[in-house]
Amino acid sequence: MNKVITAKSLVKSFGTVTAVDGMDIEINAGEIVALMGRSGSGKTTAMHLLAGLEQATSGKVRYQDKELSGLDEDTLALWRRENIGLVFQSFHLIPTLSALENVAFPLYPSDISVTERTKRAESRLEMVGLADRATHRPSRLSGGEQQRVAIARALINDPDLILADEPTGNLDSETGKEILALFHRLRDEAGVAFLIVTHDDEVAETADRVIRMKDGKII
Amino acid sequence: MNVSYLFRELTRRSSRTLSAIFSVAIGITLFVSLQAYAGGYREAARAPLSEVGADITAQRQGDVPEGFTGILFPHSVAPLHRDEIEAIAELPGVEGITESLFFWSFEEDSFVAGLGFDPAADFGHGRLRAGLIEGRFLDVDDSGVTLVDASYATQNALSLGDMVIIIGNSFEIVGIVDTTRTGQIANANLYLPLADAQAMSAIAPNVLAVHDMRPDDANLIFIKSEQTQAEAVVAGAEAILGKKALVSSAESFGEQLGALFDIIDRFGVLVGLVAFLFAAGILVRAVAAGVWERRREVGMMRAVGWEKKNIVRQLLGETLVIALVGGLVGLLLSWGVTLMMSQATVTVPVPWELSPSPHFLPGGAEEVAVVVPLNAKITLELALAALGLSAVAAALVGLWLPGRIANIKPAEVLRSE
Repeated sequence: MNKVITAKSLVKSFGTVTAVDGMDIEINAGEIVALMGRSGSGKTTAMHLLAGLEQATSGKVRYQDKELSGLDEDTLALWRRENIGLVFQSFHLIPTLSALENVAFPLYPSDISVTERTKRAESRLEMVGLADRATHRPSRLSGGEQQRVAIARALINDPDLILADEPTGNLDSETGKEILALFHRLRDEAGVAFLIVTHDDEVAETADRVIRMKDGKII
Repeated sequence: MNVSYLFRELTRRSSRTLSAIFSVAIGITLFVSLQAYAGGYREAARAPLSEVGADITAQRQGDVPEGFTGILFPHSVAPLHRDEIEAIAELPGVEGITESLFFWSFEEDSFVAGLGFDPAADFGHGRLRAGLIEGRFLDVDDSGVTLVDASYATQNALSLGDMVIIIGNSFEIVGIVDTTRTGQIANANLYLPLADAQAMSAIAPNVLAVHDMRPDDANLIFIKSEQTQAEAVVAGAEAILGKKALVSSAESFGEQLGALFDIIDRFGVLVGLVAFLFAAGILVRAVAAGVWERRREVGMMRAVGWEKKNIVRQLLGETLVIALVGGLVGLLLSWGVTLMMSQATVTVPVPWELSPSPHFLPGGAEEVAVVVPLNAKITLELALAALGLSAVAAALVGLWLPGRIANIKPAEVLRSE
C-alpha cells in the first residue's frame, strides 16, 4: 500500500517532559487510523508533529517522498496548504466570514483566482451537505454544521491526508456519528486517509486501524 | 492581502474598529488643530505689516525733543539718512523699499500728527489709496495738498477743499482716507507729499536741535523682502542703523502677542506630536489586543497554510485602513474645530514706537491695536502631514507585528481544550 505519511523514532520533549517518545507510525492512502490514548498520553503532540505544527526534538517525518524534518515554519505552512487538511475539536472557523468563505480561507494567500476558489469551496460544501448554508456565518450554524464546514475547509486542497484532533469531541453522539460517516464517505469516494486523534472508544471502533499511546509511546 | 476578509474583519468587529479609528482621529485632530491654531496666530502677527504690504519696518530711536512747538519728531523716529536707506535697499533679499517721514506739529492751540509719503508706492502708506473715501489720492508731483484721516476730519469738521496750516504752510485737503487700511502703523492725521514733509522738517528748530536732519532724510521705511531672507534683512538693517535701530517684522509682532502665542508657536508641533504619538500608542494597543484576541485565528491561519508574511500583510492592511480612515475622520473633525476657531479674533498690539502719539494728549498713551480674525486653516501640507503621521502609526504597528505573530505558536493555541 502507498504510504502517505511515515514517522520514525519521533521524539518531542518540552524541557524535562517527553511528550512523544520514539514514535514510529505509518498511514496508508485511503486508510482511517485512530490514535487513541488518555489525556496527556502525547497523542495531540504526535499529531502536531506529523502536521508540522511542532518541530520534533529528534526523529524524521516523511510525507510521501518529501522529508519534512528540518523545514522552516513557512515552508511547512505551504506544505500543509498544498497537501493535507486539519480538523480540530473546536472547529476554529473565522467568526466574521461565511461558511463558504471559511472553506475557501486556506486559499486566500494563494494565486488561485477568486472564481476558482469559490467554485472549489462550493463543491466542498456540497460534499459535506451544506451547500444551502454557504452564506451563513459560524454563529448561525450548529456544532455539527460548523464541524462539517471545518471538514470542507480541510478538503479545499484535495488532500491525501486529513489529521483530525478530537473531531467529535464537541458534538453530541448522533452528530459525532454523522461526522465519522462523512469521513468514511470521503475515504471511499476521494481516497482520503485520516488520522483521528481521540480518546473515545466508539470513534476508534469505526477506524480501519487503532494505534494506542501511553506516556508518549505507542503500545 | 485579501480585501474581502479585511473588509469583513473591520465591519463585523465594529466596536474594536471604531475605537481604533476614534483613537487615531483624536490624535490627528489635536495635531492638526494645534498647528492650524498656531498658523492662524502667525498669520495674525503678520497682519499689521501685511496690511501695508510690507514684511519689515525700520526706524531709529533718537533723543527726546527739547521743546514741543512747531515740527518735531517723536523719539522713536530719528532721521534715517539717504546713504543708510540706500544701503538697506541693497541688502540681499530686499525686494522693495518705500520711505515715509512722520512728524508731530504743535501749533499754538492744536496738535497734528503728519506723515509725508510717496504716493506712487504700492506698499507702505501708498496702500492708503485703497482707503480713499472721498476726493482724490495724492499724485507724484503734488505739493501743498494733503489727505486727511476720516475720523480726524470728523472731529475737526474738515472737508474737501478746506485748508490746514502746518507751521505757517497751507495745505489743501484733496482727499479723505480711512487709515485703518495701513495696519495702524504710523497713523497720522494728515498725509502729505514726502518732499513737503522733508522741506518743513529740515528747517524745524526742534528737529534740528536733537537730530542731524538732512533735506532728503526719512524716518520710517517699509521693506518688502523674500520670506526666506526676512531674518537676514532684519539683521542687516539693524547693523546699518546701529544700536538704536528699531526693526520690526512679523516675528516681533508675534512677540507682542504674548506668552500664549510663544508657547503655541514653540511647542505647538511638539505638543501635537506628543498627542499624536499618544493616539498612535492607543492604536498599537488596540491592534495588539486584537492580535491577542485573535491568536487562535492567527494560529489557525498558520495551520491551514498562511505564511507569516501573509498574516502580517493582512493585519497591516487592516491597520492601514484604520489609520487612513482615522486620519480622514481626524481631518474632518479638525476642519470643524478650525471653523469654530475662525469665529475668534486676535488683537495684535502695535508698539507705541510704530505709531507714536504724544503721551500728554488725551488718548495718547492708549495702545493701538489691530484686530484680525483668527484665520486658522488646514493647508494641503498640513493635511498631508497628518495623513503621513497616520501612516507612520500604521508603520509602527507594521514593525511590531511580525514579532508578535511569531510568538504565536499554532500548536499551543489549537490544542484541544
